[in-house]
Amino acid sequence: MNALQPEWWYWLYDVPPLRLSMLFVGVFVGFYWLGSIIVRPILRQFVKYTAGSNDIVGYVLSCFCVFYGLLLGLIAVTAYQNVAEAGSHVTHEAAALSALYEDVSRYPEPHAQNLRWLLRDYTRYVIKYAWPLQQRGIVPQEGTIRAEAFYDKLLDFQPHSPGEQILHAEALRQFNDFLEARQMRLYSVKSSLPSSMWSVMIMGAILNIAICWLFDMRFLTQLLLGGILAAYLGIMMHLIFDMNQPFRGDVSISAEPFETLYQRMDDE
Amino acid sequence: MTSGRPPLGLSRRDALRRGAAATLAAARGLGPALFAGCSLGISPRAKTVTVGLLHSQTGPLAISATSLRDIELHAFEQINAAGGLLGRQLVAQAPDPRSRVDLFPKRARQILENGAVAAFGCWTSASRKAVLPLFEQAKKLLFYSVQYEGNESSPYVVYGGMVPNQQILPALDWLMGEAGGSRKKIFLVGSDYVFPRTANYVAKKYLADKSLKPVGEAYLPLGDRDFSSVMKQIRESGADCVLSTVNGDSNIGLFAALAEAKIDPQAIPVVSTSIAEDELRSLLPEQVKGHYAASCYFQSIDTPANRAWVAGFRREFGRDRVTGDPMEPDWCLVHLWKRAVEKAGSFETEAVRQAFRDGLEFAGPGGTVRLDPKTQHTTKVFRLGRIRGDRQFDVVEASATPIEPDPYPQIAFPGWSVDWTRGGLTRGAEVDIDGNV
Repeated sequence: MNALQPEWWYWLYDVPPLRLSMLFVGVFVGFYWLGSIIVRPILRQFVKYTAGSNDIVGYVLSCFCVFYGLLLGLIAVTAYQNVAEAGSHVTHEAAALSALYEDVSRYPEPHAQNLRWLLRDYTRYVIKYAWPLQQRGIVPQEGTIRAEAFYDKLLDFQPHSPGEQILHAEALRQFNDFLEARQMRLYSVKSSLPSSMWSVMIMGAILNIAICWLFDMRFLTQLLLGGILAAYLGIMMHLIFDMNQPFRGDVSISAEPFETLYQRMDDE
Repeated sequence: MTSGRPPLGLSRRDALRRGAAATLAAARGLGPALFAGCSLGISPRAKTVTVGLLHSQTGPLAISATSLRDIELHAFEQINAAGGLLGRQLVAQAPDPRSRVDLFPKRARQILENGAVAAFGCWTSASRKAVLPLFEQAKKLLFYSVQYEGNESSPYVVYGGMVPNQQILPALDWLMGEAGGSRKKIFLVGSDYVFPRTANYVAKKYLADKSLKPVGEAYLPLGDRDFSSVMKQIRESGADCVLSTVNGDSNIGLFAALAEAKIDPQAIPVVSTSIAEDELRSLLPEQVKGHYAASCYFQSIDTPANRAWVAGFRREFGRDRVTGDPMEPDWCLVHLWKRAVEKAGSFETEAVRQAFRDGLEFAGPGGTVRLDPKTQHTTKVFRLGRIRGDRQFDVVEASATPIEPDPYPQIAFPGWSVDWTRGGLTRGAEVDIDGNV
């Protein structure tokens, strides 16, 4: 996986949420209806002469739906946890940055001013340049340079009193904390559900739909009832897809913690 | 039986000829529409255009060079907010050469391979000379905004900083004149690389022309901060002023040593060529107050255009940020490039260079600059600033009009000249920079 390139399907996240939701529903319902016309007559041959076939199909569908519903539910929770975890990395990084800013503000001049400038520069970069890249699924690279520039300057400072030594040690500890949170944020840019999970989900949806094709009922009733089920499957898939990328889509993390911090840095 | 003649009395040859003429006419007419963008220098469908920024963001030169990156980003952000350049958004790619000359070519290659249409960057002449062959080979433009020693010209470099005839020679004139205290015992101190060596060579030639000779000369490696031995040399030489071409963090050591040696700025003023407001933030005011800097721009210039520019930069990058030389020349270079691209209707290097030929001007915060198409250098107002206690400058001297650039002052480089509008570089006698003057 290339950190500098977005995945080919990322364009889907650029579609407005309502339209994307309708697209998912349309694809699933369309697939169901098309299968009802083309595949259903073939599949029906297997259960056509079985007495009480609808009961059997209904029983199988119920069992299937329990397993599939559980799977979808668990996957949705996992996807949400991914987003929440990435969100906590962002908050943690902004908090560590804020604490570091406070620490270096207590340094003697000109160190304090130089270090504050570098932290402000880093925060500005995250808001203006890194965030749009993350939203495109690209891991931003140039923040590392800014963090290194700050570290270089931090190491330039030679404490002269016990108080300065304690302050410097605390700033270094805070800097390491910030670096860790930053790295976690960068890792989460590309974090998403594994492709095997998506395969199981899509296969499950297809089987679910295929079982519905086995019901013996009027064609229009088939289209209506099966269509409702397919539409709901589409909505579920959209929800999971939306939460799949922490920095993309409707359910995504904003740069607000950094924006608030930058505002505070600017006001001082 | 057919006659072999098409209807309407046209022969086959006539029909073919008319068909070919019609096709050619259609191609001529539709060509610009069909192939619009083919000469853009980028893919016609591209929504963005990459520009390389080659500035050290870590290491001893970061103190100065980072602000150049910031002012370029500021200019790009403004251009993008106004709709971009030729409808394309400018995307900056800014790898870090870490103040290491050996890393500059690697980073330059990286940005050129990533499709940068042009690049802005380099601080030291050593770094510029290290990347120059790459830009010449790739036929891409490098915009260099720092004052430098001259004695160089390339069709692929646009020089926005001052050359010795715009900075060092007027500074020497001021020192030797009544306003500067009629000082004649000049000590030259510099970082040990191409700019200070060549700039001091030009200075020595200029002094020799006035039957003078520097009382001493000393160089320390770039980044070195131990100037104690230099202070001893200054004391022993009986110097009454110092011309400093010390660069980057080494200035911290120089001024600390001057303060420690209790050298009074009124008795022995130091005129620095590489100190601006940005460098002053790392220097203690009590150590630098009263010394001088030769420049084309100071933040304290009191004009509406400058006040607006400073306020705009601070609004974006922080209220305590400062502007200085070479940020102002860098800003002007970005806008001169923008004008050239707009005039050429293309990002393609030759088209942009062609646009230089008619002369380009930009009203910058420090005054109007003109790009001289012959030398690809810019005109400059010489200014001399006295350092104040608040890390700003009082402008004590300014040239009445902008000074034309001369990268090959005849006093130092006899027979050398450049005219990119006609013939390019004319070579004179070889010059031994490190030899005795």
